Amino acid sequence: MMRIVLISSIAFSAGSLAWGYKMLGLEAVASAALIGGALWLLALWQRWHWFAAVALVGVVLLAGTGIVLGAPLSWMLAGAMFALAAWDLTEFRRRVAIAFRDDDVRGIERRHLVRLSLLMLGGLLLASIAMLVRVKLSFEWLLLVALVSALSLTQFIRWLRDS
Amino acid sequence: MSRALLLNTLIGVVFVAGVASARGELFVLALPFLLYLLISLLEAPADLRLEVDRVLSAERVDANMPATVTVRVKNHGKAIAEVLVEDAVPPNLKVVTGARRHVVWLGAGERWEFSYAVAGPRGRYTFGGVSVTGGEGSGVFGMARQFKTAGQLFVLPQITRVRQVAIRPRRTRVYAGSIPARLGGSGTEFFGVRAYQAGDSPRVMNWRASARHPKQLYSNDFQQERVADVGIVLDGRERANLYAGHHSLFEHSVLAAAALCEALLQQGNRVGLLTYGGYLEWSLPGYGKQQRERMLHTLARAQVGASSVFSGLDHLSPRMFPVESQIVLVSPLMRGDVDALVPLRARGYQVFVLSPDPVAFEQRLLATSREAGLATRLARLERNLLIRRLQRAGILVLEWDVADPFELAVQPALRRLRYPRLVGRYV
Repeated sequence: MMRIVLISSIAFSAGSLAWGYKMLGLEAVASAALIGGALWLLALWQRWHWFAAVALVGVVLLAGTGIVLGAPLSWMLAGAMFALAAWDLTEFRRRVAIAFRDDDVRGIERRHLVRLSLLMLGGLLLASIAMLVRVKLSFEWLLLVALVSALSLTQFIRWLRDS
Repeated sequence: MSRALLLNTLIGVVFVAGVASARGELFVLALPFLLYLLISLLEAPADLRLEVDRVLSAERVDANMPATVTVRVKNHGKAIAEVLVEDAVPPNLKVVTGARRHVVWLGAGERWEFSYAVAGPRGRYTFGGVSVTGGEGSGVFGMARQFKTAGQLFVLPQITRVRQVAIRPRRTRVYAGSIPARLGGSGTEFFGVRAYQAGDSPRVMNWRASARHPKQLYSNDFQQERVADVGIVLDGRERANLYAGHHSLFEHSVLAAAALCEALLQQGNRVGLLTYGGYLEWSLPGYGKQQRERMLHTLARAQVGASSVFSGLDHLSPRMFPVESQIVLVSPLMRGDVDALVPLRARGYQVFVLSPDPVAFEQRLLATSREAGLATRLARLERNLLIRRLQRAGILVLEWDVADPFELAVQPALRRLRYPRLVGRYV
């Protein structure tokens, strides 16, 4: 089950990016995204666990570039989210691989998949709301919002850690 | 790079890119990552509030027999999605069933345990702590902690049953036993003839001697059988035990010492044990089952050691053993040992050396060649000379080629030990 979800996530991630770039007319980048996806699958087969992090960074950069170039946000967002799911599942599989055969691995896997699905759903919901609410901001305002956000995020993380 | 840092960096880069390019969509791209990170942070346990303990099914087991280890974990904090519990098994112990590492989901207040069995060669094994790694479901903010737990396992040496060890110390103790005491009295073996005393049973009367002397009656006297003091010395010197690299005779010596301890205690004797290696380890003389346990524990701990102080047997002080008692040395013997053993004999100790044969042992480790053959012959000559010198001093030496099992090679000889008479002057 876990393997199917993981492979599907990698395939959907690469496919979404490729489709978005194809719609943009950049067929070469679309092909590169597909090759990257194939490489990720190969890494999964070869148990190159480090590759998942590299692939995640690559997908996010590709998605960001796509958005800047004018590719459809939904496909880029889908690519990044599936990459996040694949990265999470790769790490999870590595952690669970050392479990003994009598351990309730299936139960842990089920809980993890439910949690991940909820997170992805929440992320998608949040992104959808953000896409619907469009506010035009000047650059100065944007800079201020970014600074305030970064500061609040830092304070929030510190508060969470302390508590 | 930690996973949290990777996510933070990605979010930061996308945010900066969003600000730089003034594209709100980039913020949208960062939102799922931000949510993932924040939820992971919220779920991460502040501390692993666990109670961990370990229980062993036995504190002592025989060699290669399994002992079950049970590790119990109780969660006093909130639920932890993934807990990796790993017990530290001492080196040389092998996990024979089960596993020492488990991944589990631990609810709040939940108690969980797992068991596995270990087995290993002779030794004392101290278990380390139990390491626990726990975190939220995504594993971004994992936390590791080591829990100190007690646990010690003695794997005792294999004990070969020996029926009797025919020792003959000069002095015995007052209690009845099976060692001939060189004293007349009640017993089974004929000791001498004495004048009849009132109350002697007609069965013990010597009618032949009485017939020769019409005015005097004579009775047979029997040798008393009593228990004796025995000191067993196990030679753990590295120089005497290690051959051709890491091949050791010591395990054979331990096997022999264990068999002798068992047999001599079974005979009712007061037995002590001294391990002579890198340092001296001494089990005070004693009787019975408790003493057996003490000695087996000492043997379980015994190791080959190198020390310049104990390189010879010079520190085998006579004060360690009761006067005129029996000393049993289990040693492959070295050239200089004669000088330490003969004085013991001169002080009245009865000395018996059970010697695993190092020449035969090493010969089997060497490739067949003319040089090896010649070296073996020379080593054999030297050893024979050494043994001859010990025998001339009245020390009994029993050689054991360890290729033959102890019960076949040594056990029959132990029943009828013939102590050599002191011959001439020791040179």
